[in-house]
Amino acid sequence: MLVMGEVHTGLLQNSGEISESTCRQVLGLMAGETVRVSRRPIVHALSPERLTGVDCALPTASRSRVRGVGTVVSRCAVTGGRVAQGSSYARVVRSEADRRLPWSHYLARPGVVEVLGKVKAADLAEGFTGDTVPGRPDGACLDLGAVSGRFLDLVQQSPLLDRRAPFKIPRTNLRWVAETGEPSIRFTLHAEQERTLRLTHPGPFTPAVVDLCEDLATHDWLLTSLLVIVERARIGGTPGAQAVARLAPAIDHLMHLWMPAARVEEWMTPFWESLERRPGFTRQWRSLVDRVRDQVAMNTLALLSATAEAGRRSP
Amino acid sequence: MTPVHATFGEVAAERRIASVPLSHVSVELGHLYMEDYEAGPDRLREQFRRVAPWLATVRSLWQERVPGGRARVSTCFLVDDYFSRFSTPAELVPMVLEAAAEHDLTIDYLARESACAQSGGVELARLVEDRLVDDPPPETDGSRPPVKETGWLCNGSRSPRTAPLQAMGKARPWEPPAQNAKRGHSIFVDVELWDEKGPRRTWSCPFLAAVWQLLRLGLLRSDGRVPLPPVALDGGWPRDWDELPAVVRLNPQAAPFSAYTTLSVLSPRFLPVELAVRTILSQFAVDDEVLRQVATRSEGEGIRLEEELVDRISYVFV
Repeated sequence: MLVMGEVHTGLLQNSGEISESTCRQVLGLMAGETVRVSRRPIVHALSPERLTGVDCALPTASRSRVRGVGTVVSRCAVTGGRVAQGSSYARVVRSEADRRLPWSHYLARPGVVEVLGKVKAADLAEGFTGDTVPGRPDGACLDLGAVSGRFLDLVQQSPLLDRRAPFKIPRTNLRWVAETGEPSIRFTLHAEQERTLRLTHPGPFTPAVVDLCEDLATHDWLLTSLLVIVERARIGGTPGAQAVARLAPAIDHLMHLWMPAARVEEWMTPFWESLERRPGFTRQWRSLVDRVRDQVAMNTLALLSATAEAGRRSP
Repeated sequence: MTPVHATFGEVAAERRIASVPLSHVSVELGHLYMEDYEAGPDRLREQFRRVAPWLATVRSLWQERVPGGRARVSTCFLVDDYFSRFSTPAELVPMVLEAAAEHDLTIDYLARESACAQSGGVELARLVEDRLVDDPPPETDGSRPPVKETGWLCNGSRSPRTAPLQAMGKARPWEPPAQNAKRGHSIFVDVELWDEKGPRRTWSCPFLAAVWQLLRLGLLRSDGRVPLPPVALDGGWPRDWDELPAVVRLNPQAAPFSAYTTLSVLSPRFLPVELAVRTILSQFAVDDEVLRQVATRSEGEGIRLEEELVDRISYVFV
């Protein structure tokens, strides 16, 4: 019917970036399962996948009560030894039975949540990615955000991290829904750190869709964070040297991480490309990076001329 | 210039899952504990006498089911060297084989129970524990981590605590536990997976028996590899259990150790243990890729396997 997921992205709670071998240890969430690491064009480490059992109401725009039973797939990732993610998703399908079945039935379909009773895909999609935070006033409703948040916490609380992050920056949450159909993509910024993504792709769902959502979440977080840092620097409102000092974390920790669509399968790259046209993630990123570099260059020039001035004055 | 299509691969970024040769059915001919050993060889002979007709039955059932009648049936025998150490392989194994031969039974594979906990640097029990996915009671929405009693696993919701939390509080009346997938009434099962005394963890008998079933079903992988592949023994039987490989191939012509399905012929006194085993296995998540491998293979030879893992396991209690 559809796939729903949520990705939480944040700055890894460590003073510097962590090495590939540390990544492997931090993400080793399961005995006997290896952490997958790719090194080109950026180091990206992905934990093994774990399942969480759920039996609860699903979010619907109509607020009608829809019960889902099954498992949610979760995993963690670290990009560039610096950006941490907790990501969860579930494929929602109609159940052939009208009652809850033994648990082994659901474990034979990992990552599938079966809906008991009638529901329209659009109602679920709208309920999950609509303007309001999914939830029901009268009881428990599938909380993928909490699951992803816990997986991100699992990484952040690793004893291998020193918990001395170079700057404070909020986490971002991306809720997404993917369906089969005519290709389209809609990315929406909501209040604060909330984002939603509606994706329609040709052919059946594959994990490549999840990779795309995680890649988008990483880059949206990078862009959001760089914006925050530039804003905090108060360029023009503070002395140049002070502004540059405030921009330094961006140069040290973020600016080399921009690698859009690096881990996205070829057939999914048109989705990234269409977002590049509107709103133009890379365009905004480049303009911000140029702004940071211009500030540094201006400040260097000012320092140089000040030094030269001082040299002329001294006998 | 025509466009060049580039492909790039990274071994560390891929997930490689080895496949395992599979029989149609793995039949456990017996499970030897110290008490059985102490009861002498007659107890063993009695066990094999009871098992023999069931092995013949399951063999003929599979011969009917498989095109051409070429059923792959392998037999195995498990010795407990985990909860108590008794005798030595050199003394015990020949005795077991002899008792089996008296009833025309061939034991293809012999395994040590302690290997289900740990062997050859692979902690199978930990591996299985990490893949348990708790059966969620209704209204489990993911907002909180699953309610766990460390070292225990159940099939529903436990009774709320009846003791008052504060000295002044009133004791709550007893409320029953509930099975999640109950049909009318609950059969609530709560299984102890392990206990710890100091640094040493002792896995429970049902937990190791669950690992044993998974090993026989060929559903476990450690770093993508098949753990504890059977080894033929060169030379004689060692004097120490630790020197014995985890799974020994006794019969060079044997069908593969692991199988699509398993059958265990047991005394009814093991019924509670096996209920616990099924409770554990109902909450074990087999790797997606491994599930697919087994499904593809079985469909390739025209066999439809039960979807659920617990339905691939059968018993004869005699």
